[in-house]
Amino acid sequence: MEKLIKSNEFSLIIKYALIDLSRNYKKISSIIITLFISLFILSSILTIEDSLKKELNDNARALLGGDLEIDYNRVQGNLELVNEVKNFATISQMVEFSTMLSTVNKTNNQSLFTRVKTVDSNYPLFGEVIHEPAGALDRIHKEQNTILVNENIFKTLKLKINEKIKVQDQLFTVVGVVKTVPDVSGFIAFGDFALAGQQTLDLLKLNNLGSFLNYEYKVRFNNNNNQEVLKVRIEKLFKDDEKVILRYPENSASGLKRIINNFSQFLSLVSISAMLIAGIGIANTLLSFINQNNMSIAVRKAVGFFSLNIKAIYYLQLFILLFLITVAAYSLSFLIIPIVDIYLSQGLGLNIKPVISIFNFIKVFLVGLLVLIIFTIPTVSAIDQVKASNLFRNVFQNLQFYYSKKSIVLSLVLLSILILLFTIGSAKPIYSLGYFIAFFICLIIFFLLSKLIIYFFKSLKRISNIPLKVSIKNITQTKSITPITIMSLGLGVTLLLTLALVGTNFKREIAKSIPQIAPDYFFLGIQKDDRQVFEKNILSMDKNVNLEIVPIISSAIVKINSVDPTTFITPKNDSYWVIRSERRSSWTDTVPKDNPLVKGQWWDLTKPDRLQISLDAKVAADFNIQIGDIFTLNIYGREIEGTIVNFREVNYRDLSINFAMLFNPQFANNIPHEYLATAKFTADKKLNENKMLEVLPSLSIIKIADYLSKVTAVLDKVFIAVTLISTVTILIGLIVISSAILVQGKLKEFQNLVFKILGFSKK
Amino acid sequence: MSTLLRLKNVNLKYQTGKELIKVLQGIDLTTKRKETISIVGESGSGKTSLIMLIAGLEKATSGKIFFKGQEISKLNEDEVSQIRRKNIGIIFQSFYLIPNYTAVENVALTLELNKFKNPQQKAKSLLDRFGLKHRLNNLPSQLSGGEQQRVAIARAIAMKPELILADEPTGNLDSENSSMIANILFNFAKEEGSSLIIVTHDSKLANRAKRKIKIKDGKID
Repeated sequence: MEKLIKSNEFSLIIKYALIDLSRNYKKISSIIITLFISLFILSSILTIEDSLKKELNDNARALLGGDLEIDYNRVQGNLELVNEVKNFATISQMVEFSTMLSTVNKTNNQSLFTRVKTVDSNYPLFGEVIHEPAGALDRIHKEQNTILVNENIFKTLKLKINEKIKVQDQLFTVVGVVKTVPDVSGFIAFGDFALAGQQTLDLLKLNNLGSFLNYEYKVRFNNNNNQEVLKVRIEKLFKDDEKVILRYPENSASGLKRIINNFSQFLSLVSISAMLIAGIGIANTLLSFINQNNMSIAVRKAVGFFSLNIKAIYYLQLFILLFLITVAAYSLSFLIIPIVDIYLSQGLGLNIKPVISIFNFIKVFLVGLLVLIIFTIPTVSAIDQVKASNLFRNVFQNLQFYYSKKSIVLSLVLLSILILLFTIGSAKPIYSLGYFIAFFICLIIFFLLSKLIIYFFKSLKRISNIPLKVSIKNITQTKSITPITIMSLGLGVTLLLTLALVGTNFKREIAKSIPQIAPDYFFLGIQKDDRQVFEKNILSMDKNVNLEIVPIISSAIVKINSVDPTTFITPKNDSYWVIRSERRSSWTDTVPKDNPLVKGQWWDLTKPDRLQISLDAKVAADFNIQIGDIFTLNIYGREIEGTIVNFREVNYRDLSINFAMLFNPQFANNIPHEYLATAKFTADKKLNENKMLEVLPSLSIIKIADYLSKVTAVLDKVFIAVTLISTVTILIGLIVISSAILVQGKLKEFQNLVFKILGFSKK
Repeated sequence: MSTLLRLKNVNLKYQTGKELIKVLQGIDLTTKRKETISIVGESGSGKTSLIMLIAGLEKATSGKIFFKGQEISKLNEDEVSQIRRKNIGIIFQSFYLIPNYTAVENVALTLELNKFKNPQQKAKSLLDRFGLKHRLNNLPSQLSGGEQQRVAIARAIAMKPELILADEPTGNLDSENSSMIANILFNFAKEEGSSLIIVTHDSKLANRAKRKIKIKDGKID
């Protein structure tokens, strides 16, 4: 505002703003509706995000399974150190592994790849295992060969309580069904799982890499001890143990938090698109409203109101309106929580409750305020064009958007603040920025398109049909709704189509394209000595099977150029997983077909006694690794130095066998290893899973189609949510257009009357 | 009587495309306080333009306009608004009441703007004086033309301005209402000591003013 309003006039401005708003709100109903819808979406997204994060934080201990987690990954770890912790805390030992569960004594026996969690009687240290029937959890501790399976396994394998199932070569009794466990890990959230007693470990063969063994010790501090002191004590205790990873509640469910952040960022961007489209409509409706009040504004000017005061009255009305709408939108967003809660409690066992956040309320209000000001500056500034002298002439010129240099600069500054608000602090700021750039490019394109259409129609001169001539005149005239229609509907439809296209392509890629090149099955846990048996059995089922068998070992990167690898990368980086824990690696004589070499040379055969490493090019870029750099790897307890000799382009999405690190076979063949295999059969059902498990009980079989259908099911739900929100942008676009038509209708009342007098029919 | 208003060689021109329209030419006019003046002339002669300049709602192309000795022709829009809100009441031919404000609210508007105490009460008593006691809370659309013009006059004179400018105040009214409005205006000017400048085609109304100015082709005849 050009000048500060005198304080004694401010009370007058408030008074008239309230009177005008209370009497005119119906005339600006489209502003109220579009603003409400867009703020409601934003509020809902923020409320759901906050409620979810609060639930995760409140239950951080339950989600982690303790005040602290001692994770030894594949190995049992240093039990002496663990026992020392037992002196001042309660420990629950947990071993997770992957294996096959198969039905027995059915006409058509089935198998499922399952993550089994063996737990002791202290489990869970926090939270509760929801299961049926009562007492089933106790039975897995007291009775040997008992197991609790999750609901999906129970349904898919058509099991009954106390029915026998086979785990490797052992028969187990299904004593109950687990509905939820408190320590929800990413795997358990989306895969099948079962609970078994600790004694199960001794019954099964779990020494292979395919078991994905994981030893964890959950710790609960005794109530009367200082937790910080205990944490420091434990950290000191384990400081020389390189294999251990200590996790705290704040690190729990980090995968879920990352998903929440990414998804909420995406939905927030969709909601701001809806707001910006609404902004176009708000500007148009407000201009119409001001045009309707043209005379009142002129009267106010005639009796001595300053232009600034009149503008302040309009801004204040918008401000009050925005505040009330924000309160309503934010409050009503809490009604969404119970609906979301139904889906979350089914999927993750999380129960969310609405979280009132002043920060979120302010954010919603601020976003609304910025959009409102950005779009109303040229509209409210039009008040300067109203002349009180018009009252003498009985002529009121329709007002136009008014852009001054000052207002353009102010709008751009406010727009930058709006973009920053959505960019800074978002999970991936660069994506947000890219989204805004794309949005404004689209806006400009649609604006130019509208001008092109107007230019085209203007160039049509020889039209004799009068209704057509009038219609074209309506499209091409200065105040036509052509630009606003094309921009608002164009943006909404573009957004919806883009999302639909991305979604459809993504799903198609998963459902169709990938399976065409992807194998049907992954086979894990093939021991070195079992390779021939495995190969022979697979070939006996389908001699034309496309079988790929590769060696695998497990290794951990402990140093890069003699420096701690964590100094090369932050945990937020996409490639951090490479150093987070032990990774599987393989070796091959030739460059894999789907892993083209992008830099360096393939193996140097003159150095068979040196470990040579071929690295994923993206990982290399993220870690800033150069050819010739040295990785120190821990392979079965031995530290071996290897030289990076080349980079490969790895596409993990093709579901074929891919590794971040490949070794030179001349060196790696001497390392104890097992095999991983993939198979693509010539026809469905060629694989007899049960026969394979009889021959190789420790084999794990993953059917790709099962996982694809699970992923597709999750994606379907995500796309429904995204499409619903995107549809709202179309809805807002339609409201904007309908209000623009109403505005146009009001402006044309006089013209239409003249047409009627001249003999035009309504038709 | 001291000088209230002085126009010195005032010209008003409009450029319409290539055509230059001379609306007012070389207007020299001095009015005294408490003076009643009627401005007459044919349609398009420049009568309304003249009071628009006096009200400060239009800028003269050249010349000077002084109000109470202050040159208003060189003031900016807000400064002129400040002078107008305190000193000049304007009455239009088409009444121009704010449509969604009641009669009282329309009148109280100028009182509140000038920070009068009890503006609502003062507005009510003024409307009562103009025979509109039963119409206080009615919207303009619920009033007759005569009633609307009485409310408009009440709004213009509520803050007791030194100058009342009326542009064809009876132009849209029947003879009975015209007579009533004329009485109200002239009586008020006399009682409160305000100057009154009326633009009118009505010779009867024009003749009630002490001074009559005729405009022809943009010049004082």
